[in-house]
Amino acid sequence: MTKDKAWWRSKAPERSYDVVIIGGGLHGMACAYYLAKDHGIKNIAILERERIGFGGSSRNTEVYRINQRAPEIIPLYQQAVDLWKGLSAELDVNIMMWQKGLIALAHNNMSIDSMRMRHETFKLMGIENELLTPEELKKMVPRLDISDTPDLPIIGGYYHPPGGSIRHDAAVWAFAKGCYHHGIDLCEGVGVTGIRIKNNSVTGVDTTKGFIASPVVLNAAGGWSATIAHMAGLDLPVVTLPMQAMVTEPVAPFLDQALASETYFCFGNQTIKGDFVIGTHMDPWQTYKFENTYHFASDLAYGWTQLFPDLAGLRVMRSWNGLCDMTPDSSPIMGKTSIEGFFIDAGWGYFGFKSSPACGKNMAGYIAEQQCPEMIKALGIERFYEGRLVPETTYPRN
Amino acid sequence: MGFKIPCPNCGIRDVYEFSFDSEVRFRPPVDSDLKTWRHYLYFRKNTCGVQEEWWYHGGGCCEWLKIKRNTETNEVLEILETRADD
Repeated sequence: MTKDKAWWRSKAPERSYDVVIIGGGLHGMACAYYLAKDHGIKNIAILERERIGFGGSSRNTEVYRINQRAPEIIPLYQQAVDLWKGLSAELDVNIMMWQKGLIALAHNNMSIDSMRMRHETFKLMGIENELLTPEELKKMVPRLDISDTPDLPIIGGYYHPPGGSIRHDAAVWAFAKGCYHHGIDLCEGVGVTGIRIKNNSVTGVDTTKGFIASPVVLNAAGGWSATIAHMAGLDLPVVTLPMQAMVTEPVAPFLDQALASETYFCFGNQTIKGDFVIGTHMDPWQTYKFENTYHFASDLAYGWTQLFPDLAGLRVMRSWNGLCDMTPDSSPIMGKTSIEGFFIDAGWGYFGFKSSPACGKNMAGYIAEQQCPEMIKALGIERFYEGRLVPETTYPRN
Repeated sequence: MGFKIPCPNCGIRDVYEFSFDSEVRFRPPVDSDLKTWRHYLYFRKNTCGVQEEWWYHGGGCCEWLKIKRNTETNEVLEILETRADD
């Protein structure tokens, strides 16, 4: 059998570029891709300390949706879903997008009130969403336990048809392929060690492979974004918290939608293969270490078996962990910094995967046109100094 | 596997007995401008490496511990101070 032609190859960086992107994840690659495709800027390096897709891009639980809380940011997620829909054809890689809808469950009145509030926002903004009773939920998900046996019985929920899942590795491969096709340099194993600044303008980056000159540098380092900002003498309004996830052995399909419980705080979906990709709360301490804990596995098993008693006894195949750069309002930081030419797309916490194509498109627009796109105007770092937060908060952090 | 914190009052205990507060921060003087206060409120060092931080031992002695920890390895290097909860 002949070997398939590689979709992309890593290469050693040149000495200078028009744009250097730090972080070879979906956000960085999407920005490079749209810089090339929409704006004809192709002299770009993506510097990745590990390997392409090493961080959050391949550590999330693959769910996408539009139903954020803050009206300021909902159009960005809508744009992301619109872009995702075209990417399999555009990049000729099947990203296995499955728009199967997302169900969320409420177990107390506070949750119901919050769902109603969001529902009204979605109605105003033209986002499909339905509030459901336990009986209606049971019709959609027959295996769901809506009795009063669980510690926190289900008292309501919503169905959000535009949500679903995308195979995250395929999304990484697709963007890597797209970048490679446009002649963008994907440089794996190149760690950034310093940001060079002259007269408050960025001039390039020091790396483990030497200095690389560039008038534009984008920090798209995900969980490590603060460490990159430090190199430019900046602090970010983020703390890096660890989030764990697991996948079970495959079983016959019985959950057709992505599902989340807002009080057990667990979420996940059953893949085409039949396994459950599931996660729960973050560990609330700062860390940059990948680590899985028994405590987490036990909490996750508890949450999911409360919702689906049939899952008891299902074996866990693998578990892993990712790093989330959490802002005080859980909304991202996108745009310029106080240093000319030093851009940032970070603070995505655990919302980074679903939004990635739209982030890339808007950051590319900002870098190429030197004018902030309307879509991300509310998301600049200056909002924290102006007292103008975009309250998405679902998980308080100190 | 998680990690353990050697509580001076209770001995070596599992991290899940403790609540993480935050990295050690320095409150600006009361008459500082709004920008300084907002920086203090929202921005963090978020060090990748050794930092000092406050933890609360809710599952044990109910005291506050000031800890020196490496966030890259989760190794607890030193307990710097304990403080009663008031």
